[in-house]
Amino acid sequence: MFAVEMNNVSVYLGGRQVLKGVTLRVPYNTVFVIMGPSGSGKTTLLRVINRLIDLTEGARVEGSVKVLGFDAMSYDPYELRKLIGMVFQVPNPFPHLTIYDNVAVAARINGVAKSRREVDEVVRWALERAMLWDEVEDRLHDYPHQLSGGQRQRLCLARALAMKPRLLLLDEPTANIDPVNARKLEEAIVSLKDEVTVVMVTHFPHQAARVADYVAVLYDGRVVEQGPAQQLFLRPTTDIAQKLLRGEM
Amino acid sequence: MRSKRDKLFLLSLLPLSLSLLAILIISIITMVLKSVDALQRFGFQLFASSGWSPENEAYGLLAPIVGSLTVSALAVLTALIFSLPLTIMIAEYLQGIVRGVVSSIVELMGGLPTIVYAVWASQYLVPLLKQFLMEPLHSALPFIPLFSCRPVTGFSILAAGISIGISTVPYVTALTLEAYQSIPSIYREACYGIGATRYESIKIMISLAKPAIVASLILGFARALGETTIAAVTVGNSMYLSSCLFAPGYTVAALIASQFADAYLYPYAESVLYVSILIVVLISVALSFYGSTTMIRWRSRIIV
Amino acid sequence: MYSWRMLREKLFTCLIAVLSLLAIVPIVHLIIAVLINGFTVIAKAGINFFTNLPPAPLSREIGGIAPSIIGTALMTIISLPITVVLALFAAILTTEFPRNTVSIIIDAVAKSLASIPTIAVSMIVFTLIVMPMKGFSALAGAIALSIIALPYAYTYFSTALRSIPAMYREAAFSIAMGRWGAVMKVLIPIARRSIAVGVLMTIARIMGETAALLFTAGRFRTGVSFSPTSPADAIPLLIFDYILSPYETWHQVAWGAAALLLLAYIVLFFATKLIVKEVKL
Repeated sequence: MFAVEMNNVSVYLGGRQVLKGVTLRVPYNTVFVIMGPSGSGKTTLLRVINRLIDLTEGARVEGSVKVLGFDAMSYDPYELRKLIGMVFQVPNPFPHLTIYDNVAVAARINGVAKSRREVDEVVRWALERAMLWDEVEDRLHDYPHQLSGGQRQRLCLARALAMKPRLLLLDEPTANIDPVNARKLEEAIVSLKDEVTVVMVTHFPHQAARVADYVAVLYDGRVVEQGPAQQLFLRPTTDIAQKLLRGEM
Repeated sequence: MRSKRDKLFLLSLLPLSLSLLAILIISIITMVLKSVDALQRFGFQLFASSGWSPENEAYGLLAPIVGSLTVSALAVLTALIFSLPLTIMIAEYLQGIVRGVVSSIVELMGGLPTIVYAVWASQYLVPLLKQFLMEPLHSALPFIPLFSCRPVTGFSILAAGISIGISTVPYVTALTLEAYQSIPSIYREACYGIGATRYESIKIMISLAKPAIVASLILGFARALGETTIAAVTVGNSMYLSSCLFAPGYTVAALIASQFADAYLYPYAESVLYVSILIVVLISVALSFYGSTTMIRWRSRIIV
Repeated sequence: MYSWRMLREKLFTCLIAVLSLLAIVPIVHLIIAVLINGFTVIAKAGINFFTNLPPAPLSREIGGIAPSIIGTALMTIISLPITVVLALFAAILTTEFPRNTVSIIIDAVAKSLASIPTIAVSMIVFTLIVMPMKGFSALAGAIALSIIALPYAYTYFSTALRSIPAMYREAAFSIAMGRWGAVMKVLIPIARRSIAVGVLMTIARIMGETAALLFTAGRFRTGVSFSPTSPADAIPLLIFDYILSPYETWHQVAWGAAALLLLAYIVLFFATKLIVKEVKL
C-alpha cells in the first residue's frame, strides 16, 4: 500500500502535454521529494494529487491516481482535499484573517475541532508543529501582513496541519524565504513524518539531501529516476539526475 | 473536467445571473413589438419628414434623429477638445498631489448626476454660450449656414451639444487616459533616446494611442446619444429642422421625455416614440460594441 | 535666442495648460454655483425644506421637498438590494467560470445593457409594469433604477473579484473549502473594500438617475408616501420638472434640491476614497 500511487499519468493543459506518462509510488510516512528543473511539471504533478488541477480550465488528466487508497479521479475532490494539506511556493495566508483565524478556519471547515477549546488546542498544536508558536504566541490576533515572509510560510504550514491531514503537499515551500526560516521549515517537515506522508517539490539538491527518504527526478514531464534517497544521491544512474544533484540544472 | 459539486455551484449561480439576459431579451422584444405598428402604418415616411401632431396622426422623426446625431457629434467634438489636453496634462505634466487632485476631480465629474449638469447648463452655460459664442459667431459669419440664424433664447442644438460634451469629458478622459497610460514605457524611452523634445514625444505617443482615442470618442458618442436630462433642458424642444446650430431643435431622448407620458392617449404616438428609441438603441449598442472591441484589440497589440 | 523647436515646445505646453484648465473650470464653477445657490435657498427655507411639501408655482414661500427626499430614499432602499444581489451573482459566475459560454454571454449582456439609454428603460418599464399595474409606483421606479444600475454594479463587482490573486483561491480549496465557502469566506471578504466602493457608487448612480424615473415613479408631490405600490417622487425628478418650469419659486426649489443631491454625491464619493485609502493586504 502506498500513500500516492500514480500509473501512467498524463496531463494536458490546453493543447500542451505537461506530464507524459508519470508512474510514481509514495510510501506512507516518508518524505518524498520531487526534483526537476523549472517547467518539468513538478507543480502540475502536486496539483493532480489534490485535484487543484480542476481549477485550471481546459486541463485534462489521463491515467490512474490513487491517493490514500481512494481513486482520486472519481472521488469527490472536496472530500479528497480534506485529507490533504498543501503549502504553496508563495506564502498565501488569508490576508483578511488573523493569525489565529488562519489556522482555526482550516480546523473548523474539516470538522477537526468544534468547541472553542478544541479549536484553541488545535491552533496551538499546529503552530507548535510548524515551529511558529513561540514567535506568535502573544500576537495571535495580529494579521499576517505583520509577519515576515518566512513566518508567513510557516503559518501556511500550520494552516495545512490544522486540517490534521494524512498527506502533506509542499510546493517549493522555501523558494521565497530566507535561509534561517528555510532551515526551521525543513526541521518542522522532518519531524512531521511520523504523522503524515510528505510530498515535497524542490530544486535545491542540498535541501533534498537533508530531508528526503525517497526522491523522484522529473524532466520534461517524465520521471527519469526514482528510488530511496541515499541510493539515488550516491549513485544516480542518469545523466539528468547527476546534473540536477550537482546543482547544474 | 468538472466534479458534481462544481456543476451544482454553477447551477446555483445561473438563475439570478441569467436575469440579466432575460432583462435584455424582454427589453428588445418590447421595443420591437411596440415599434411594429408605427412602422407598418407610416413606413419610411416616418424618417423623411418632421412633425408631431398626434391629433392629426401626423408624425415625422427626421428632426429629432438628425438632432440627436448633430448634438452627439458636437458633444464628442467638445469632449475631444478638452479630454485630450487633460489626458496629456495628467499623464505627462502633473505629478504627486496635484496629479491626484486633478484625477480625483475628473473622477468626481464622471459620476455626477446628470441632472446637476442640466441645472447648471440651463442657468449658466447656455446664457454664457449665447453671449460669448453664438452671437459673435452669428455677427461675424452670418453667411455660413450653420451660423445663419440669430440666437434667440440660446437654447439650441449647439447649446445641447456643448452641455452634453462637458458632461462627457470625464468619461472620455478616463478612457483615453487609461489607454495612454497603458502604452509601454519603452516607447517613450525610445523617443527620448533619439533626442525628442517633450512635444515630439507626446506627438508620437498620441499617434500610437490614436485607435484607442477614436474608440473612446465612439463610446462617448454612444453615451451622448442616449443622454436625456441635459438634452431636454438645453435643446429648446422644437420640431423644426434647421441647418442652423443656434436654432432650437429636438433630440430623440428629449422628444420622448416631453411626449411619452401622454402618448398612450393617441393611436400610434407611443409606437412612433418606440421606433425612435429603437433606432437610438441600435446605434448606441452597435457603436459601444465596435468601440469596446476596437479598444481591446488595440490594447492587445500595443502591450508586448 | 529661442530656436523654433524650443518655441514650439513652449507654445504646446501653454496650449495644453490652457485647455486643461478650461476643462476643469466648468466643474469647479458648477460645484460652487450649485452649492452657493442651493444652500442660500435651503438657509432661507430652514428646516422646512426637509419636512414641507413643495410650494405652489406662485407662492412666496419656498416650502420643502419632503416627498422627493422620502421617494428617493424609498426607491433606493428597494432597488439597491435587488441590484447588488443580481450583480454579485453574475460577477461570481463570470469570475469563477471565465471561459464558460454562459459567462461570456452574461458579460456581453452586461455591456449591452450599459449602452441602452436610460430613457428607453423608463419606457419599457412603463409598458411592462406601470400599464398592467394601472398606475405609477415607487416599485416601478425602483425596478427601472435596478435595470440601469445592474451593469454598473456588475462591472464594479467583477473587477473587484477578478483582482484577487489566484493564490488565495488555491489556498481556500487546499483546505477543502467548497465553492460557496471559498466565495463567501475568502473571495468576498478579501475584496470587501472594492465591493463596498462598488455598492456606494451604485447608490450614487441610483439616487442621481432622472430619465429612468420619468414614466415610472409618478410625480406624487402633494403628500409623503411610504408605500412601494403608490406613486412617488424623487429628487432628480423634481429638479427636472421645476427647472423646466417658468416659475421663479420652483427654480429656487430646484437649486436647493440640486445642492442637496450634489452634497450627497460628494459625501459618497469621498467615502469611497477613504475606503480605498485604507487598503492593506
